[in-house]
Amino acid sequence: MEAPGKGGLVLGNLAEVVERVLGFLPTKALLRAACVCRLWRECARRILRTRQRLAWVSALEPGPPGGHTLVQALARELERVHVLPQTVLYIADAETFSGHEECHEHKKARKRNSKETAIAIEKLLPKRCQVLGLLTPGIVVTPMGSSSNQPQEIEDGEAGFALLFPKIDGVKIQTFHFPKEVKNRVIDENKFAEAGLKNNPDLRVVLLFGYNSWKSGATRFLHQIVNPLNEKSIILAGGQVESFTSLISENNNAQPSDACGVVGLAFSGPQIQSATVLLDQDVADERTAEAAMQRLKAANIPECNTIGFMFACVGRGYRHYKTKRNMEADAFRKFFPSVPLFGFFGHGEIGCDRIVTGNFVLRECNDVKDDLLHGYTTVMTLIHLGSTKANQA
Amino acid sequence: MSLSEKNSVVFAYESSVHSTNVLLSLDDQRKQDILCDVTILVEDQRFRAHKAVLAACSSYFLSRIVGQLDADLIITLPEEVTLKGFSPLLQFAYTAKLILNKDNVSEVCKCAEFLGVRNIEESCFQFLKFKFLDCKSDQECPRKKCCTQHCRKVNPKISSVDDGDLEIDDEAEELIEKEYIQTSHTKLCKDDENAKASPALQDNTNPTSDPMHLEKGNVSSSSSQCPKYRKFQKAFGNDKVHTSDSSSSTKDIQVPPTVTFIEKEIPDNDSTPKAQECVPMQLVSQCEEAQVKMEEGEEDIEKKEESKRDSVTESISCPVEKMDVAAFPQNAAAPHGLNSVSFLRTCEQYGNLNFSSMQSTTILSEKTATGTGAESDKIESHDNATLKVDLCAREAINITSTGDRSSVEREVAEHLAKGFWSDIYSTEACQIHLPSAVPKERLEPAYSGKKSECPWLGIRISESPEPCSQRTFTTLSSVKCPFISNLSTEGCSNSSEISSGDYVQGQQQEQCPYNYVISLGEDSETDTEGDSESCSAREQECEVKLPFNAQRIISLSRNDFQSFLKMHKLTPEQLDCIHDIRRRSKNRIAAQRCRKRKLDCIQNLESEIEKLQNEKENLLKERNLILSTLGETKQNLTGLCQQVCKEAALSNEQIQILAKYSSSDCPLYFSFPERERTAPSEGELTAPTTAELVDGLLSVTPTEEQSSCYQRVKGVCDATYDQVQELHPVPVRTLEKTSLVEQCGQSGAITDFCQQMTDKCTTDE
Repeated sequence: MEAPGKGGLVLGNLAEVVERVLGFLPTKALLRAACVCRLWRECARRILRTRQRLAWVSALEPGPPGGHTLVQALARELERVHVLPQTVLYIADAETFSGHEECHEHKKARKRNSKETAIAIEKLLPKRCQVLGLLTPGIVVTPMGSSSNQPQEIEDGEAGFALLFPKIDGVKIQTFHFPKEVKNRVIDENKFAEAGLKNNPDLRVVLLFGYNSWKSGATRFLHQIVNPLNEKSIILAGGQVESFTSLISENNNAQPSDACGVVGLAFSGPQIQSATVLLDQDVADERTAEAAMQRLKAANIPECNTIGFMFACVGRGYRHYKTKRNMEADAFRKFFPSVPLFGFFGHGEIGCDRIVTGNFVLRECNDVKDDLLHGYTTVMTLIHLGSTKANQA
Repeated sequence: MSLSEKNSVVFAYESSVHSTNVLLSLDDQRKQDILCDVTILVEDQRFRAHKAVLAACSSYFLSRIVGQLDADLIITLPEEVTLKGFSPLLQFAYTAKLILNKDNVSEVCKCAEFLGVRNIEESCFQFLKFKFLDCKSDQECPRKKCCTQHCRKVNPKISSVDDGDLEIDDEAEELIEKEYIQTSHTKLCKDDENAKASPALQDNTNPTSDPMHLEKGNVSSSSSQCPKYRKFQKAFGNDKVHTSDSSSSTKDIQVPPTVTFIEKEIPDNDSTPKAQECVPMQLVSQCEEAQVKMEEGEEDIEKKEESKRDSVTESISCPVEKMDVAAFPQNAAAPHGLNSVSFLRTCEQYGNLNFSSMQSTTILSEKTATGTGAESDKIESHDNATLKVDLCAREAINITSTGDRSSVEREVAEHLAKGFWSDIYSTEACQIHLPSAVPKERLEPAYSGKKSECPWLGIRISESPEPCSQRTFTTLSSVKCPFISNLSTEGCSNSSEISSGDYVQGQQQEQCPYNYVISLGEDSETDTEGDSESCSAREQECEVKLPFNAQRIISLSRNDFQSFLKMHKLTPEQLDCIHDIRRRSKNRIAAQRCRKRKLDCIQNLESEIEKLQNEKENLLKERNLILSTLGETKQNLTGLCQQVCKEAALSNEQIQILAKYSSSDCPLYFSFPERERTAPSEGELTAPTTAELVDGLLSVTPTEEQSSCYQRVKGVCDATYDQVQELHPVPVRTLEKTSLVEQCGQSGAITDFCQQMTDKCTTDE
């Protein structure tokens, strides 16, 4: 490479300087810069390795016409994010995801459309990243920028978010999909193992999302999945969503089908700490909601590098709280000033009161198996992804 | 590596189960009392254990045990450590599992802290404490709710009592009104299919009446329930307050006090007319306060009273506004005494109206009237359940009771009113409250007035199994009507009280909104679910009306369907709907098929593309092979040529002539010495480089050439794979004829093109 002048000499030879300079670039620009020369490529690789913090893209308001607002936001923001996503969880509201116009006239058109939207999102993301996309009736999202932004409960209207998990040292995130198959009633144990849900001592958190849950037998099927998982000392959280739109993982690309099933994310890694609380029907005012948050706070999960998830029932939200909007999200923010909160309003929730950290597990132990499937509740979950030095960047 | 070094290699074996197994066997030993060397005394109970284990788990035991030489040590733990708190901890020491429940969590926490138990994190105690605290507060809430419920009931009673007093003049009118209202309401109820509601109401009333009976003795305790009573309480002073304190926890007691209060009230009313007017209003305003207090969870009697009053006042206020528009002017005009009376009356009327709207309420009023009468007279008529008394009986009772009251009450009232009333409730404050209260009241009637003055009815309606959406239900409940919020609480209170069959009914009703909501939620899921294009809301509606289910409509064949339609007599809308459903389902199936076909098609194309790509790769490899062999043979040939030339000792001229006649790629060219060498050598050099390039998947080829070739190829290529196949001969030929560079550029373009096509295919999906 020619090096005209001193600047070229420095940028062509001094890794420290190059690394510092390139460190300000967002990932996409960094990858482009990596093509310049070997030195830059090495620097870019090192920089990417240090970027282990979760990033997210959120869309709270309808954008200009043409495409879902989340797609537009992703297209815009992926140029700016500082992580290389390896796992992406995106959730968008089902109403608008498939486009406004068509859905009223032909539902046929609507479905195709949602698929197109999903593909548009998948194309924006790197090829080898795992993608899980869900559609839900409502969205809970923290606006982009600071993680201490006020989370918003958007019960209807165009909205969505995408969580971009980079490759984090010591944390493994796997997507899984168990469709209900008519043929074999018993779930293949191998699939469990493959998804990292079995023979995986480091498994800490499983986020489960049932889809097409209105089908007959869906609940039983969900129980089939949840019960063996519930035996373990892991956090289970999630809910019933309308449908999932994309699932790309290392070994399978699933297409949404008409049958019911379960998709989800499995977080494993010894450093993960997590806690979850269930806000049941009685939690219907500010005081009780805050009490629940206080409980979650008492679990003493570190707040840095932590995500909050909120899976609520469509029946809750502002109607449940006597027309007070954003109650639960506000209560969460009050107790966790710097934890971003994401989630949805769905058709049913999976969760319980439980704490799982590397050192101990606190869970209910009743003689009767505790049921994790609820309705008319809210599940609040904190997931701490470890606090290595790289994460402190 | 030397031999000695090899011998010193160390292996480590690590068992992951050893620690747990050791612990397990230690636990076994403890249970069988093997090797136990310490006895711990906690609250006179003895625990056997191992010194080593205890010392390892707890810093307290470590300090106690170390230095003790006794073979069988006995440690008596101080008082701070309780049995409840210690035994789970001992178990934790041996099993690593701590069993916590609501009862023991705080004690275990304390003990763990005291004993310095390791590996127990404070946060879990915190977590559980908050959780159990939650539960407690939840439990408390129902109690409070119960109170409010009682209050309501009290209100009707109060009103009835008041009526009784007032009725001396207007008895007939009021009674007529009541009856009328009752009847109309009952009709309403029936119409609304809320027949159940009325029994439930009755049930509710029953509990209140019972407590009244029970609590006759505790006159003072009742003071808390009714706002008016409250005033009375204050007026009466400490006696009642004290009693109320003692009895505050039991809210059932409240009912009887109300009766007494009523008596007191009446006198008050006479003395301070304005104050009374203000009172209901105040009560309304106070309600807010009370609610706040309730939230705070203060269990003071006063607060309870306030809350009760609030509820009462609220209920009263609603009717007041509606009905007493006329009454208000009267009050204003009339002198104080009259005002108070009229006001009360209006209040009563409203109360009555409300109650009358519910059948049970009327009954209650009767009861209350009787109860009050009895109380004032101190006759023990309470035991007689007045519930069953007919309307006529009621009237009579009312009259009598009013008479009794009036005499007794007036005496009391005079005392009270003079002394305390004015102090406690300044008229100014009341007046201030009034305006604020008025708008509220107005709102409330507007809300409740439509169907029934009774909010309960409204609620029931929402509960009724009509296919109303969940949301409508929620909105109903979200309306700020105190009654509704009370309703749910009522259910709780009912359940909490030992319930008769009726109670159970009431409970069920209360619960039913939830159930319903849940079922609705499921419905809505099906509705909104994206994949199934199944029924819109309208469709569903129709479906409800249809005598058969939609599945049948869909599954029948065309002929069957026609005959099926003839069989049933259907309205045109239904027919439309059925056709619509059928058409949609058919469309859906067709669409599914279409989609499937498309997917199949795409899959086929993809597999074909894959095949072709494989083929292309093979061909490329082959070409490279050929290229290399070609190079070899060329070199051989040149070598031979040179040899021939040397042997024949040809001159340069001769060679030139030979070259002229031989073909361009004859090795003779290459064997040219000096002059001619430049051109051919170029050709020779390019050959290997291009081959390399091809190997490297052509990515390195000069971009200009590539793009030009690419353009050309692209122009030609519409039929994809045919071309790819055709391209195979092309490179071979071009090898010989065209320049190698160009060729490689072309092949690069081809791969590019193929990639593009695959991309396109995948995106077309």
